[in-house]
Amino acid sequence: MTAKLNVLRYILGAAMLGLWRNRTMTLGAIVTTAVMLVTLAAFLAINDTLNEMVTALGRKSNLIAYVRDDARPSRVTEIMRDLEQRPGVGEVVFVTKEDALRTFQERFFDQRDVIDILQANPLPASVELRMDDPAVLPGLADELRGMTEVFESVAVPLDVVERLISISNVSRAAGTAMIIALTGVALFVIANTIRIAVYARRQEIEIMKLVGATDWFVRGPFLIEGAFIGLVGATLAAVALVVLYLQAAPTVTRIISFLPIATDVSFVRNLAVFIILVGLVVGSIGSYVSVRRYLAV
Amino acid sequence: MSAASGATSPCAATSPYRSAPLIVVQGVTKRYDGEPALADVSIAIARGEFAFLIGTNGAGKTTLLRILLREEAFDSGVVLVNGVDVSRIRGAALTKFRRRIGVVFQDTRLLPNATVRENVGLPLQVRGRANREIDLAVDDVLDRVALSDKSERFPRQLSGGEQRKVALARAVISKPDVLLCDEPTDSINPTHAREIMGLLLEINSDGVTTLVATHDSEIVNNLRRRVIRMDAGAILADEPVGVFSAT
Repeated sequence: MTAKLNVLRYILGAAMLGLWRNRTMTLGAIVTTAVMLVTLAAFLAINDTLNEMVTALGRKSNLIAYVRDDARPSRVTEIMRDLEQRPGVGEVVFVTKEDALRTFQERFFDQRDVIDILQANPLPASVELRMDDPAVLPGLADELRGMTEVFESVAVPLDVVERLISISNVSRAAGTAMIIALTGVALFVIANTIRIAVYARRQEIEIMKLVGATDWFVRGPFLIEGAFIGLVGATLAAVALVVLYLQAAPTVTRIISFLPIATDVSFVRNLAVFIILVGLVVGSIGSYVSVRRYLAV
Repeated sequence: MSAASGATSPCAATSPYRSAPLIVVQGVTKRYDGEPALADVSIAIARGEFAFLIGTNGAGKTTLLRILLREEAFDSGVVLVNGVDVSRIRGAALTKFRRRIGVVFQDTRLLPNATVRENVGLPLQVRGRANREIDLAVDDVLDRVALSDKSERFPRQLSGGEQRKVALARAVISKPDVLLCDEPTDSINPTHAREIMGLLLEINSDGVTTLVATHDSEIVNNLRRRVIRMDAGAILADEPVGVFSAT
């Protein structure tokens, strides 16, 4: 037990000494890790903004189901409650006959002749759906059309919906592919940097093995050094990301007001935590794998 | 001059000791890319014995030492060190095995980014010894090799001879059963060479079986110890008290 504690103390000390005595290599690895993770995080933020844009466009697409005059109000309420629970449905609004007439009058206020012709209110009440995901619109429209005892007709701008679905699909697929590719590149570069750092010290590994060190005795300091490099590099990247984001996002939002950039703290915090974890894990695993190949002495 | 021991039983090889051999090499063959580095080599070294391995570059001395440390595998034959079949040890057993062997490598193989104190203490660090115990042992062995005043220096700040002495101190600090030295006096001045050989004899007198590969004729001729002569991967001669010039 005492021997194990002594070894643990040695491993921690050796890791700190290793980082300091190989500080040029350590600094290079930290900077590389930070740059790669900032790039990855920036792309994740851009991809998130693009997805938000597509979702926002989707919200602009509506479905309008015109309610029959003789439809039971309780049945309409029941259907609305059901629709609110459906995935992809953002908002469900009931427009009364009176609201419809008021909107009509406001829209055609300069055409008094048309308004005067209307003796009674011929406009139906309606249920309007604003969507989060336009992909569910066609199916929903068919379902509502089947409720002939409640709705007299259902209006859907299908050409717009189809275009939105297509844009959404392409954007998400391209975003996912880019994230996978960029993550792969980032991981490769970080792991390779650590590999080069370990390669430069391969003779140390060999010597330690030849004087009777166990694999964990040799591996321990490198593992801690790799984790440290990953953690510090990722923390630098996270700090840079938070500063950049909080500085740039309000300005960008002001200039391009239609861009739904997520400026809330939780988004940036989650992104920062994510890249710190990535740095830590890649640093540790990179070291573990790099050292392993030189342990077979 | 005795006949080469390759053809006879290694246990019956010429030796001033009657005890069972600590190192047994029997019919060992090793090839690099088809080229023979060792050809049917057989020797036996008794516990506590001091022996020289001599020969020109490429004779197979370093290969034989590397095999004894299990740094190198071999193609056929048997190698026993302290009763352990070297070809069969793996993992934890290999770690334990190496802890019983001290080595002075030809290129010293000191950790470049570690001080003299850290390099010398490394074999005890890997065993999980307490820092205080290690410090005492390092002080003792550095005193023995006359490098106490250079304990905080890095290897690059030492001369070639001093680096050899640090390597020797690291090899013996854990009181090994066997000490393997590969050209310990190569490329260093005669004073340092004599000091190192004196230290090797001193260590051997403590009961450490010592095998020294060298082509330093002066050292071999002066010490008058057992000489195993190698050439082209084979044992040419094994003399109880040999001289370098006798070919």
